[in-house]
Amino acid sequence: MRIYAIVVFLFLYVPIGIIVLFSFNAGRHASELRGLSVQWYGKALSNPFVGDAFVTSLIVALSVAVLSSLMGTAAALALQRLKGKIRILFDGMIYVSVMIPGIVIGIATLVALVTVFDLLNPLLASIWPEGTKPPKLHMGYASVIAAHTLFTMSLVIILVRARIAGMDRALIEASMDLYATPWRTFYQVTLPQIYPAILAGFLLSFTFSFDDFIISFFVAGANTTLPIYIFSSIRRGITPEVNAIGTMVLAASLLLLMTAQFLLRERSSR
Amino acid sequence: MSKGNDDKPITAKKFMKEFHRYQKGSITRRHFLGVTGLGTAMAVMGTAAPSLWSGQANAAGELGDRLVFSTWPNYHDQANLDEFTAKTGVNIQVNAFGSNEEMLAKLQAGGTGWDVFVPTNYTISNYVELDLIQELDLSRIPYYDAAANNPKFAGPATVNGKVYCVPKNWGTTGFIVNTKKIKSQPKSWKDFFDVTMGKGSGHTILHDYQLTTIGAALCALGYSFNSIDAKELAEAEALLIKSKPHLFAITSDYQPGMRSGDGWMSICWNGDGTQLNNDLPEMHYVIATDGGEIWTDFYAIPKDAPHLNAAYAFINFMQDPNIQAREAAVHGYAPTDSRAIALQPPSLASDPILHPAENLMNGLEFGAAQTLTDPIRAEVMARFKSA
Amino acid sequence: MSKDNKANRWLTAALLTPTSLWFLVMLIFPLIVILVFSFGERAAVGGYAGGFTLEQYANLPSRLKAFQNTMLIAPAGTLLSLIVAYPLAYFLALRVDRKYKLILLVLVIVPFWTSLLVRTYAWIFILGGRGIPTLLEFIGIEGVRLINTPGAVLVGIVYGYLPLMVFPIFVSLEKLDKTLLEASSDLGGSPFKTFMQITLPLSKPGIATGCMLVFILLMGEFLIPAFLGGGKVFFIGNALVDLFLQSRNWPFGAAVSVTLVVIMLITVSFYMRMTLRNKTGRDESLM
Repeated sequence: MRIYAIVVFLFLYVPIGIIVLFSFNAGRHASELRGLSVQWYGKALSNPFVGDAFVTSLIVALSVAVLSSLMGTAAALALQRLKGKIRILFDGMIYVSVMIPGIVIGIATLVALVTVFDLLNPLLASIWPEGTKPPKLHMGYASVIAAHTLFTMSLVIILVRARIAGMDRALIEASMDLYATPWRTFYQVTLPQIYPAILAGFLLSFTFSFDDFIISFFVAGANTTLPIYIFSSIRRGITPEVNAIGTMVLAASLLLLMTAQFLLRERSSR
Repeated sequence: MSKGNDDKPITAKKFMKEFHRYQKGSITRRHFLGVTGLGTAMAVMGTAAPSLWSGQANAAGELGDRLVFSTWPNYHDQANLDEFTAKTGVNIQVNAFGSNEEMLAKLQAGGTGWDVFVPTNYTISNYVELDLIQELDLSRIPYYDAAANNPKFAGPATVNGKVYCVPKNWGTTGFIVNTKKIKSQPKSWKDFFDVTMGKGSGHTILHDYQLTTIGAALCALGYSFNSIDAKELAEAEALLIKSKPHLFAITSDYQPGMRSGDGWMSICWNGDGTQLNNDLPEMHYVIATDGGEIWTDFYAIPKDAPHLNAAYAFINFMQDPNIQAREAAVHGYAPTDSRAIALQPPSLASDPILHPAENLMNGLEFGAAQTLTDPIRAEVMARFKSA
Repeated sequence: MSKDNKANRWLTAALLTPTSLWFLVMLIFPLIVILVFSFGERAAVGGYAGGFTLEQYANLPSRLKAFQNTMLIAPAGTLLSLIVAYPLAYFLALRVDRKYKLILLVLVIVPFWTSLLVRTYAWIFILGGRGIPTLLEFIGIEGVRLINTPGAVLVGIVYGYLPLMVFPIFVSLEKLDKTLLEASSDLGGSPFKTFMQITLPLSKPGIATGCMLVFILLMGEFLIPAFLGGGKVFFIGNALVDLFLQSRNWPFGAAVSVTLVVIMLITVSFYMRMTLRNKTGRDESLM
């Protein structure tokens, strides 16, 4: 059993080791190791496109995470109060949006938005005051964020709902009996109980959005997210710069994780 | 400058005082604009109405710091791109594409963010018709000399009397053979497919590109590289699908596969042939005796290019005969510009892969415009890939 | 009381508004557009031209191989991931000292934070001519080709989605009451019997969740076959990208998308009905 676990961990980490090792490659090609150097880290860090892509990914992932946890939690709470047809309708849509492959979401959103924009843009131009440049609707931040949020919001709803299902309803009733306002009941009783699910949903949404390639590939317009940048670098003939980027993202998430762990421990020991 | 100045609107008196100081030259323009808040106002108005301030934008910080460039794999010397960045401060993001169809699909969907891209001769008239590329202002590309370019290659750049692009390189599409693995010396596309389905099974690479892959199959069957005849295309499709189990990969970035030893034969552009041959002498580039492609690639600017000034500066830089010669020395494609050819070392100028003998090229065809949009070719390629 | 009810109803509606809007604009509307497009025709230069024809659906058999590949490799990849993941999850949940549990679990998830693209790329190198085949040549086995085969794609799949499988199974095993296991062995149940009769049934929700997650993602997979299949192992996802980004046949791409969605809906609802009969199980399983 233990040996098996070691083998699986090796399987998981040998490729990562290779990625990290080649990020220190002195040569140009990702497939031949020619001495060690940190030059690719310098190249990646001084490349404004990498910085842009990173910032774009961060903005998108953060917006997606915030939007989905807010809307998902709200919807999960509301759905608790619903029964009958509306509830079934919502349940259906939640499962459908989780089930539909990302590639179809990407394509469908692209096709739909391009069609709408093609209709609206001439309209906007015709009603816009003369002499000024009319705004032009196009794919960009809004379309990626909206498309990612569809999936992650449903994920949050499912997570929070599962948590609510396992929640102690007696507490809420007790709070109501004590004439607490609904808001107070929510804030002091419900929220602390569903908080872990919201947090999990937030983190999952962020991770999903940050690493998503296929949806962004179709709907990001001229915006380049980090996965899109990496994809085009790989197609261009990969240089160790991509390995350096991958290693830095890995290091950053590890650092974040350790900080979180440290903070949690601090809090629980207090 | 105190912090308070930034936040509070400036008084009329103070404004006049600063203005006088500026006129006397005791403060710089930048300081004046900053202190009076005019700089911010100008910036705001500049973004709101770019046309009003375009003259201004040209004068200061004209090029910006980035350029998005879409091209083909293994088609540039990174050193030259780095030199452009060092000279101008413009960083280049290079995207590599494997087919003109893919570039077209991106441009049709809109919002690519590209500033410069590299289309092939047969696509230009389509791009013009679809209103996807700009007419070039040749006065902004002083290094370009129309007279120095062989009209056979540069011709497609002009559509309806307007110039839409400038030539980059020309070349041929043949195939590359690893002679250590394949000893039978294939000479034609027919040989190529025979070896693929025979001794070389499992080691051939075809392009992920309808023009060259379907074209190669058509030539092997004795038809025109450019055929859009339904019956001939059906035969070509049958040949491709029959060969599919014997392929190593379908990709236009075939150098890694050839270098790693997995691939023994591949459809190949001559420059990649030179690059491979330089590093691995057993790699031989072959112009097929039963046909193939001759082509010119161009630099063009899409309609909605966000960094127009940088785009012109970059194209001009790449048209410099010295840069062209240096590029060719690395990527192995022949310039169309006689000034650049004159600068090439004799070994390259007489290189049979870069400048093949005329009689070898007799059977080659330039790609035809209708192949780009022909629905049957597109579907044949898609079916072959998913077969 | 009725006033209270009314206020309540307003609150519920308000809480649901953003989500409903999202479903309407980002799910229902695009799906309708795709459905409409799937009955249209390809414009002369590519893209979409209006019309009503069943031609696109009639052309579906030309992508049969891609559908077959997906329908074979996606379940196979899911099963393989499960086989690799289960023992690991079992080990982590039941056999590891509490002290190391968290750190080992984190070690399973960490690879997930390196871009899937970069991780898959690493496998191109490992499986390519200069990777394992070269190593094999040292010990005298020549001519092995790994890259661009269904096997390579399967390896990439297991590697890419292993954490997604391990995690839910770990959670369900972790919740398992250890006294049950002890009771079983006290009663003379062999380890195998204990596993089959207690451990496995109780970890079912985890297995179901993990399998569903991986399966759903695999049905739309594009990257792994594109990188490790070299254009030879073609999924529906690859066919779709091809239709939109190369041959620019939007109506046919729309028809393929619609078909894929229908297949997904049928298989997943069937699967959910099979594995999760009771409602509580359903909610829990998706955690």
